[in-house]
Amino acid sequence: MLTRAISVTLAILILGLSLRAREIEGTITIQRRLTKRKVTSTADLYQRGVAVELGSDKEQNPLAFERNHVAIYLEGHLPSEKISAELNQQDRRFSPDLVVIPAGSSVSFANLDPIFHNVFSLSKAKSFDLGNYPKGQTRIVAFPKPGIVVVDCHLHPNMSAIIVVTPNRWRTKADASGRFVLPDVPPGTYTIVAWHRAAGFFRKTVRVTEAAGASVDFTIPLDAEGVVEQARQ
Amino acid sequence: MRMRFATRAFLWSFIPFAILLACSFWVIQQRVQHTVRSGLRSSLREAHISMARLRQESELQNSRFLRIVAENPPLKAGLQLLLVHAKSASARLTLEDQLREIADTLSFDFLMVSNSDGVPLAGIIRIDDQLVAMGMHRMKPPQQGFFTLGANTYQLNSFPIDINEENIGVLSIGERFDLSEFSTPTILTQDGEILRSSVPNASSAELESAVRGCGNQAECETNIAGEVYMTLAADTVNFGNGYTLRSLQSVDSISRPVQGVVREVFLIATLGALAAAAALSLFSSRSIVRPIAAVVSSLRQSEATGTLPSFQSTPASIHEIRELIESFTRAASAVQESREDLQRAYLEFIGSLAGALDARDDYTAGHSRRVSYYSCAIAEALNITGSELEVIRVGALLHDIGKIGVTDSVLRKPSRLTSEEMAEVQQHPSIGRRILEGVRGFQQYLPIVELHHENWDGTGYPLHLADVKVPLCARITHVADAYDAMTSARSYRSALSHEAAIRELKRCAGTQFDPEIVKALLRVDEVGKFARHARSTVPSPRLVFLPRATGEASQ
Repeated sequence: MLTRAISVTLAILILGLSLRAREIEGTITIQRRLTKRKVTSTADLYQRGVAVELGSDKEQNPLAFERNHVAIYLEGHLPSEKISAELNQQDRRFSPDLVVIPAGSSVSFANLDPIFHNVFSLSKAKSFDLGNYPKGQTRIVAFPKPGIVVVDCHLHPNMSAIIVVTPNRWRTKADASGRFVLPDVPPGTYTIVAWHRAAGFFRKTVRVTEAAGASVDFTIPLDAEGVVEQARQ
Repeated sequence: MRMRFATRAFLWSFIPFAILLACSFWVIQQRVQHTVRSGLRSSLREAHISMARLRQESELQNSRFLRIVAENPPLKAGLQLLLVHAKSASARLTLEDQLREIADTLSFDFLMVSNSDGVPLAGIIRIDDQLVAMGMHRMKPPQQGFFTLGANTYQLNSFPIDINEENIGVLSIGERFDLSEFSTPTILTQDGEILRSSVPNASSAELESAVRGCGNQAECETNIAGEVYMTLAADTVNFGNGYTLRSLQSVDSISRPVQGVVREVFLIATLGALAAAAALSLFSSRSIVRPIAAVVSSLRQSEATGTLPSFQSTPASIHEIRELIESFTRAASAVQESREDLQRAYLEFIGSLAGALDARDDYTAGHSRRVSYYSCAIAEALNITGSELEVIRVGALLHDIGKIGVTDSVLRKPSRLTSEEMAEVQQHPSIGRRILEGVRGFQQYLPIVELHHENWDGTGYPLHLADVKVPLCARITHVADAYDAMTSARSYRSALSHEAAIRELKRCAGTQFDPEIVKALLRVDEVGKFARHARSTVPSPRLVFLPRATGEASQ
């Protein structure tokens, strides 16, 4: 704990001294196919009487989907920023279903569907219940503490979204190919975290110098059922 | 109606037998069929009850499962939402959306949420494979039972939606009601009107009228298109709203094969029994009739032959038949005896008549008897036997009966007769004929009496017939009469000797007499019959004709 505090202080010092920041970039690799995506068809489809096969989305590569749902951030008391993010309820889904925000930011939950939705969370980082509200209404929630917040809808159990509240402003999501970039990282040694909903946290230490950034590759192994072997350990 | 005894015996034994058999078989068959039918009926009922129980059990299982659906938290949340925002269209839409999802996932055809007072709030229904929201202000589906919309009927079940032990509403879950899940033909009616039917070959109108007859009876029998059906109401569930579910089973179609077998068996048994009865009746009637027929045939034979029937050969094992034969035999022999008595009396009368006739004149005493004897001897020589000989015998006895009408003075005149007297004497054949004509049974003797003075050449009297126009018996008697007349003495001449008489006969053969008969006489004479039996030695006619009465005559 002591060494960690020292190292963090050191890092801040270095950051403060350094004027030239570098970026950390890397790749996320999903080893196996993951669990089925939770998909709920839109109400419109039902209204039109179209049979919908649940749990599949042909247009999206499941591995790409999973790569796209990995949050990457740096640990440590680094400067944060307050942003306003949006998490809409549209077509009986939370859209987007993964939001990564720095601590202290707020998220506005807008209901764009013709039906009522309800937004609530029982997570430790932030528990709240916005109640039921119809189309056109928006409710805003602030997330002061870092952590993982799972957002659900009482009325539609299939709706689920994750808000990853990071301790500082360095956070991102991997793209469909697994690439990610954390720009403007001051030189120093950091613990970089990759988080996947099913697989959990993966941590690595990176060192950023004035001369060069760092490159980190995460390999997230999942078995067929989507259970992470490492996470179990 | 005349009927043979055998036929009568057969019919009288067979017809009651056959009627009795047929009736009893018919009754037994009816009884068996009734039993079979009621057995089938009770097995139908049991099948129905067990199916109803199965159905009840499966409904119970189903309701347990459906109760879980009513515990769906999002649904509760949606209902609460709607209860709060009662007027909100989007709140209703939210609930409908939830219902739609449940229906889609669990393949329900009908879902409806009502509040705790039973007022429907929102509902969806599957029509043509599409889930459609129901306008609750227009439709009033029940919470339980059946609901018909358009061509579809839904069976509904209701489950309370509770939150913390407090009832907030009712979830009605329905599935399209399909009769094909029933193994028996079933009909669903509402207020007597057929909604659904899985009864084959029966129109709705027929079914309606058939079911109407049942009224509120749970079990009843009815007639559809000429077949007896048993219908049972599915009373396990109270459907309400005038809906009734009835299962229908054709008792006829189930019992038909069994009844066919029963009918066949009884038909064969009846025919067999009738055949046996016919054979038995035939046998018994024959056994009754055979001895009687034997008696009858021997009677008929005796009627033909004129002899008394002899029953010694008849196997008269039956007591009554034997008695019949015996009494008949007694009667027949009595008749025979009396007939013989009559015959005897008659012959005695003939004999005494002839004797009385001959006794008028000493010279002619015994003449008739002798002529009869000679005639018989000649006839035998001519191979005449039997009844013809009998006719000659009696006819010869009576041949001079007509002399009754000839006065004694002429008859006993000792000298030659005048031509008038001769003419009177020559009347006697005609007189004899007249006398005997009226006597029944004497017609056969008339030729002898009338024609025994006709000559071979036609010179005789009274009819002057010649040769064979005169019957043989008359010709024989003519010869015998002439012989006896010649060999007898008369008051005006003495008797000729036997040889002289024979000579005379020979001389007149061919003129006065039939030469054949004269030859026959000569043959008899060679035997010595004529010579040996001269006048007084001729035996008494009684002894000649009735040898059996000898003992009686001597008394």
